[in-house]
Amino acid sequence: MSDHDKIRELLPLAAAEVLDQQEERLLAEHLRTCSVCAAQLEEWRLLAGGLRRLPTPQPRGVVVERARAMAQIRLTEHLEHQWNRGVMTGLIAFAWILTLLSWPVFRFISGGFLSMLDPQFSHTWLVFCVFTTLVWAGGGAAAILLSMQQRRERSLA
Amino acid sequence: MMLGAAIFGGSHNNSATAIWEAGVGLETEIAQLRRGDLDALSTLLTRYQNRLYRYLLRMVRQPAEAEDLFQQTWLRVAEKIHNYDQNRNFDAWLFTLARNLAIDHLRRLRPESLDEPVGDHAGGESAAARLVSRETPALDRVLARERTSRLADAMETLPVIQREVLTLRFEEELKLEEIAEILGAPLSTVKTRLRRALDRLRGNLESQFPGENWQ
Ligand SMILES: [Zn+2]
Repeated sequence: MSDHDKIRELLPLAAAEVLDQQEERLLAEHLRTCSVCAAQLEEWRLLAGGLRRLPTPQPRGVVVERARAMAQIRLTEHLEHQWNRGVMTGLIAFAWILTLLSWPVFRFISGGFLSMLDPQFSHTWLVFCVFTTLVWAGGGAAAILLSMQQRRERSLA
Repeated sequence: MMLGAAIFGGSHNNSATAIWEAGVGLETEIAQLRRGDLDALSTLLTRYQNRLYRYLLRMVRQPAEAEDLFQQTWLRVAEKIHNYDQNRNFDAWLFTLARNLAIDHLRRLRPESLDEPVGDHAGGESAAARLVSRETPALDRVLARERTSRLADAMETLPVIQREVLTLRFEEELKLEEIAEILGAPLSTVKTRLRRALDRLRGNLESQFPGENWQ
């Protein structure tokens, strides 16, 4: 039989129930006429059944509990990290708003003083840049100090 | 044939409703876990502990190593769950995490196990010796247990790659598509691997227990 060998290749896969429709059809047709393959398929099915019923090994309770505790700690850390990042983003946004809002106030208060310093042309942009740089340098230094302290705390813990 | 019938009789059924309900519960748990719910993590761990451990044990064979990988896998879950795409299959995602860890582990400790098939030696003491050493409560039960362990022994002699595909299909009962996702291989490769694994397993059983009609 020409497709007998091809069918034999399908038998273990049939027992594993992973044939596609075309293979199923091919097999069904062949089995109607070939008792040898039908018997073989039974054998494969028994083997497959045996595999499905192998006893399930269980992890030791202490291992499961340790895994649970460790994973919960890791999840908490991860969330904290995410929260910190969120807070940082919020703070940065807040600082920008503060910078932009305080500029007109600063101008208003120091306007006379600045025009006295240099009456010829407007320093608006230059002063704005210096002002912003100072504010942000201060903020950056604070953030770095904070993260250094956090790292030190973490390494102590 | 007779051997098979004696060992492997019994049925295997799952109610569709139970599966559906489990699926809904699972989705909720995953959503809660993604929000950082520690109880959801705990529930998921309990739900998957036996399956995950079994898979890892089949991969590395040493219980101590499987236990270590089991813990590492759950740490990975805690770290990566926010990357998990809810539309993806969770089983496949979880087993892929575990697989990556197991393969890394094997590559470090026993790199030869990953490319070279292990020799076909008979596993441990002979079946007859074990039968004698045991009291005989009921002969058929002893035989059933005996033959199950023969099958487990025969499976242990297979190369990792073949053990893996057998456990994923028959023990974890994953679909072909899910297995392909975990292995990162096309369906045709999974099928070929599955066929070769079954072929070899049967060959091992027939050569170890030639008088038992494994033909
Ligand atoms: Zn035939």
